[in-house]
Amino acid sequence: MLSFVEEITLLLLDDTQGRFVDLPLSASDVVVAGAALMDLALANRIDSDLERLTVVDTKPTGDDILDDALARIAPPGQDLSVSAAVEGLAAYAEGYKEKALQRLVAHKILREENGRFLWVFPTRRYPVIDDTEQREVKPRLRQILLTDEIPDPRDVVLICLIDACNLLGLVLTPDEIKQTTTRVEQLSKMDLIGQAVTRAVAEIRFIVKHATSPIF
Amino acid sequence: MEFAQEQAGDAVIVRLTGRLDSGAAKSAEDGFNAALSGATPHLAVDLTKLDYISSAGLRVLLVVAKKVQQAKGKVALFGLSPNVREVFSVSGFDTIFSIQPDSAAALAAVR
Repeated sequence: MLSFVEEITLLLLDDTQGRFVDLPLSASDVVVAGAALMDLALANRIDSDLERLTVVDTKPTGDDILDDALARIAPPGQDLSVSAAVEGLAAYAEGYKEKALQRLVAHKILREENGRFLWVFPTRRYPVIDDTEQREVKPRLRQILLTDEIPDPRDVVLICLIDACNLLGLVLTPDEIKQTTTRVEQLSKMDLIGQAVTRAVAEIRFIVKHATSPIF
Repeated sequence: MEFAQEQAGDAVIVRLTGRLDSGAAKSAEDGFNAALSGATPHLAVDLTKLDYISSAGLRVLLVVAKKVQQAKGKVALFGLSPNVREVFSVSGFDTIFSIQPDSAAALAAVR
């Protein structure tokens, strides 16, 4: 099973292009940081409530991305807000994404292709060569989103991350997205770390939108 | 955290006392698994003496709700303190669970 960091890195790649989907870089960093925290939560290394995130176990997980994140969050016993943890870890998310890409290549889920743009600028893309994982996840998420079936905690995290990235189109048709607005809202807020990720991404989108809007 | 259960006719009342957080999640999970071992679960969960619930605690209850739904049973919660109720409200868990004012209402809801 892929970690959430690997899963969201895979989902952020456009299947056809093998390049990352259009999302402000800082937003994708926040989402990857949130994914790392959600991995740590499900590995029982951190816990959170409406106000605080607490490290409850510093024992390494054996996953170098998660262990780096765990070491950076906070010393045991020192609480911080969930938002501060997400934003703090986002500074390291680019490295996590790069490591996740290399793992996905090593697992033969992606292939790395190096090329040149205009014969000069080096480019890299990652076409999907084994979509088994995505083919397994998508029907399960569709079932959760389109019915009243109660999700398991892992599905809640995935829906939350996909929604934060505006990638519901990967699992639902445009009509289904319109019909499931309330359901998506209900599921997305069920993970307290996910709520902080959604808020941070919304703020980034707001800033980007207004920074690029014409003045007149 | 203390986990206790008692039979009430065809239903089971589970009582949680203390804090349901990462430290208590495993024992709560084991307790609920035992309580859900019957064919069709009818489960009323008493949270009157639950002081605190964290994300890890919410995950335990989410898994319980999923198992009950899969077994075509029913689950209801009652006796939520204001701070626990706030967590349920903010996380939307109050839309997943039937939340009742007392044990009589919870037992009626799960039968």
